[in-house]
Amino acid sequence: MATESFDHPFLNKIRTLGLLFGALFLVLTVIGAISNPQQFYQSYIIGYVYWLCISLGCLSLLMLHHLISGRWGFVIRRLLESGARTLPLMVILFIPIIFGMHNLYEWTHADVVANDPILKFKSPYLNETGFISRAVFYFVLWIGMTWLLTKWSRTQDETGEPGLKSKMINLSGPGIPVLILSVTFASTDWVMSLEPHWFSTIFGFIFVVGQALAAMAMCIIWVVNLSDADAFSEIEASKYLSDLGTLMFAFTVLWSYVSFSQFLIIWSANLAEEAPWYIKRGQGGWDIMAVALILFHFALPFFLLLQRAIKRRAALLLAIAVLMLVMRYVDLYWYIAPSFSHGGPVGFHPHFLDLTIPLSIGGFWLAYFAMQLKGAALVPLHDPRMAETFAGEGH
Amino acid sequence: MAENSIYGLMAEYDNPDDLLHAAQGAYAAGYRNMDAFSPLPIHDLSESLGYEKHRVPFWVLFGGMVGACTGFGLQYWVSVIDYPLNIAGRPFLSWPMFIPVTFEMGILFAAFGAFLSMLILNGLPQPYHPVFNVDAFESASSDGFFLCIEAEDPKFELSETRNFLEGLHATKVVEVES
Amino acid sequence: MASTAPEKEDPTAPAPVLGPGQTYTTVTQKISSIITSRTPLGWIIGVALALGLMQCFALGVTWLLIKGVGVWGLNVPVGWGWAIINFVWWIGIGHAGTLISAILLLMRQNWRNSINRFAEAMTIFAVICAMQFPLLHTGRPWIAAYWLLPYPNSMGVWPQFRSPLIWDVFAVSTYFTVSLIFWYIGLIPDFATLRDKAKQKVSRVIYGILSMGWRGSAKHWHNYEMTSLLLAGISTPLVLSVHSIVSFDFSVGLVPGWHATIFPPYFVAGAVFAGFAMVLTLALPLRAVYGLHDFITDRHLNNMSKVMLATGLIVAYGYGMEQFYAWYSASTYEGYMMQNRTWGPYSFEYWMLILCNVAVPQLLWIKWVRLNPIMLFIVSMFINVGMWLERFIIVVTSLHRDYMPSSWDMYRSTPWDWLLYIGTIGIFLLGMLLFIRVMPVINIVEIRLLVPRKGHDKKPDHDASADASAD
Repeated sequence: MATESFDHPFLNKIRTLGLLFGALFLVLTVIGAISNPQQFYQSYIIGYVYWLCISLGCLSLLMLHHLISGRWGFVIRRLLESGARTLPLMVILFIPIIFGMHNLYEWTHADVVANDPILKFKSPYLNETGFISRAVFYFVLWIGMTWLLTKWSRTQDETGEPGLKSKMINLSGPGIPVLILSVTFASTDWVMSLEPHWFSTIFGFIFVVGQALAAMAMCIIWVVNLSDADAFSEIEASKYLSDLGTLMFAFTVLWSYVSFSQFLIIWSANLAEEAPWYIKRGQGGWDIMAVALILFHFALPFFLLLQRAIKRRAALLLAIAVLMLVMRYVDLYWYIAPSFSHGGPVGFHPHFLDLTIPLSIGGFWLAYFAMQLKGAALVPLHDPRMAETFAGEGH
Repeated sequence: MAENSIYGLMAEYDNPDDLLHAAQGAYAAGYRNMDAFSPLPIHDLSESLGYEKHRVPFWVLFGGMVGACTGFGLQYWVSVIDYPLNIAGRPFLSWPMFIPVTFEMGILFAAFGAFLSMLILNGLPQPYHPVFNVDAFESASSDGFFLCIEAEDPKFELSETRNFLEGLHATKVVEVES
Repeated sequence: MASTAPEKEDPTAPAPVLGPGQTYTTVTQKISSIITSRTPLGWIIGVALALGLMQCFALGVTWLLIKGVGVWGLNVPVGWGWAIINFVWWIGIGHAGTLISAILLLMRQNWRNSINRFAEAMTIFAVICAMQFPLLHTGRPWIAAYWLLPYPNSMGVWPQFRSPLIWDVFAVSTYFTVSLIFWYIGLIPDFATLRDKAKQKVSRVIYGILSMGWRGSAKHWHNYEMTSLLLAGISTPLVLSVHSIVSFDFSVGLVPGWHATIFPPYFVAGAVFAGFAMVLTLALPLRAVYGLHDFITDRHLNNMSKVMLATGLIVAYGYGMEQFYAWYSASTYEGYMMQNRTWGPYSFEYWMLILCNVAVPQLLWIKWVRLNPIMLFIVSMFINVGMWLERFIIVVTSLHRDYMPSSWDMYRSTPWDWLLYIGTIGIFLLGMLLFIRVMPVINIVEIRLLVPRKGHDKKPDHDASADASAD
């Protein structure tokens, strides 16, 4: 059997528009970067982490799907695979961060470290060589796991070899702990160390949950837009939208839970080494953003997704998914942007680069994603578990 | 009048599918005052008898809201108005620290809402019901499936209804004393 | 129903959740016969043992109330000893019950149907045991009410809502109440079955009252199913919140070793981990004694082992994060606490904990271990011990080295600590044994849902809701 491919007008549209807008915003970004390099790196890390989280979220949901093999997973497996396969693109996009290390990370400045006992203490971990070599290590792990999983999945389409199923399960079992650990350390390196005195043990976990939420929202957007594709109508993919909505609901609640836990513990202990992180983010405009997070990252989606009727209406679910993707950016912006005050008072100073960079990366990301999605059938063809999962379907 | 001394006619079925078909048939024939009995929930059965709306979710949400407001209100009143104490310099209105109790109270009242609304909507506890007068009805809680058309139903006519039920694959049809 | 074929070809297809050849009549018979049959000798011996253990509790409580909490091994700086350790341990065990009854119901994992009732009962008795410790720790529980519960009292004093210990009061009592409601709702139709099966008039009346006149009418089921689903929906965040609040008891404070933001999810995972180990510890012997192999199948063992493995890995992640961030924080206190925990006077307990909770559970990666009842029992016992040690390590090693070396001390338990702990095991066992004897140990209704419908040659191991709706 020849390798199947998939085509849909929406894919082509996204690819063209993605490239177009990616390039357009790239031009604006370059203009901004030349006039204000410091601002460029500060905005860049937010936009980069945002899209990387979606790629990694796809990889983690993919492995989760292999382990628990729910029906929802077969519907979005190809989307998750394509999302994870954007990781090579994210490697290239990581290069500006290496160039911008000195602009972003206080601990790269030898003179600062020499006068700061805490940074000196941390220097065996927070140093440039360690930072870069760990980044290489994370990417090798992530891309390696993605490569194996997607290769096996596509071979399964062609040959239908039953043993591949077990291979994917056996990789995903240990793969999830490996992914969670690597994401934890990556988030420590890239985000937490922007404020190198601050620490929180739940931080990595918040990223793991946040990226799963972003990936699920992304998948819902694609499933709704591709629902008229033949492969999706065959398995009646739109029936599973409410399952996907339930999962998005679960991740939203989980995100609220871990975020609130971190806040409550730090707020009530009120320790000098921890509390300033929240104090910064609770004043000068950031407080409004915090309230927006509570309202639109938690309360609104919570009450909407609680209702079954809403989860069954594709257009509404699509709107909620878009809202979640926007709020994920707001959340990361609130996490990262106030870090750059360097001791001074933090004002809320959004810059146009804060918009053009995520949009530019997003354009290229989506175009790349669409191309990956074209490479294989939209729904796995010969997974032995599919027959049994979709059997006797009256649901 | 024979029809006044009986509660209705009860037909017994072999399996869930026959019961479901019988219920659908009876509803289509215009019977409304009837109920089906089974040892396990059967999908679509209640819908085929005309119960469509779920009222329990509203009471759960209502209970949850009332509980959460009570919880937060209680803490606010105690900690800010009636008995303000300085605890480690924290504000009287330490709202982050009031969330856990608010949440627990919401859950507690939501559970009460679910439990009580289920009982009230089902008319439980109910010490006496005519269907228990049928000897075979004992098996409704283990392996028997029953459809009972009540005498109150405007379309009810003893022999006609009996024939109708027998036509729907009933293994047995008996009269239920009221 | 197009495809029953591929499963037979596939050797890795999951084992069924219900043994072959069962019908509505046989499952009802088999499960209710546990209650209606003669009392087995093993049960009487078990009750005697449990009552014996409960004497320890009576003795321990009596002496405690006469002398005060000083009879425990508590002293400054370790003001929280076995009482809080046992409290957390028992609460954790309860959590698996809610996970099985609520979360797996929402995830439509129908393999849970046969262990669900049992796990719920376990939750209730475990929470009862857990509540003993903080209540007794107040010293004089009969006058503790005014600062535990908000009621207008003659002193005009109210509870202090900025204390996580008050949150515990609300969390645990809500948890107990909701678990009881959930359990009772599940029991109503089964009580109706027992009412109709009962041979003696007394039991018929008692089960009749308990079943509240349940008729199994379509309207009943209509509201009943929705209620179960909603209760499962609200129990899921509840169970998350309860152990998170237990973890707040430690983490909202300043004590190094307690104040860590990872505590809430890590405690929840630890609770489920411990709880599943306890389910297996109880279910494996029960299955052997009562011959319940058709209901607690290999698939259950396999799935429960996988849940234990996953939650065990989260717990291990928690230990790892504590170690890493204790160093990364560059805080003297955090660093010293961790160094003392790992290499200090309690290092034996710490490494035993790592052995029991991190090393031994890795055996569960091996399928043979997951399916072998004896191996599984051994692994579960290790986890039971390990999770107890975890709480010991968290409570004791964080406290016993106070900020000033002059306040340093070692913590030793006393026989009175042991008596109370063993005593609560007696309470738990007695509760479970009574439950097995008078209530259907397996949810009969949910097992009926697993029985293949007549006229359909569908395999029973499909999803229950798909089964019921296949038409």
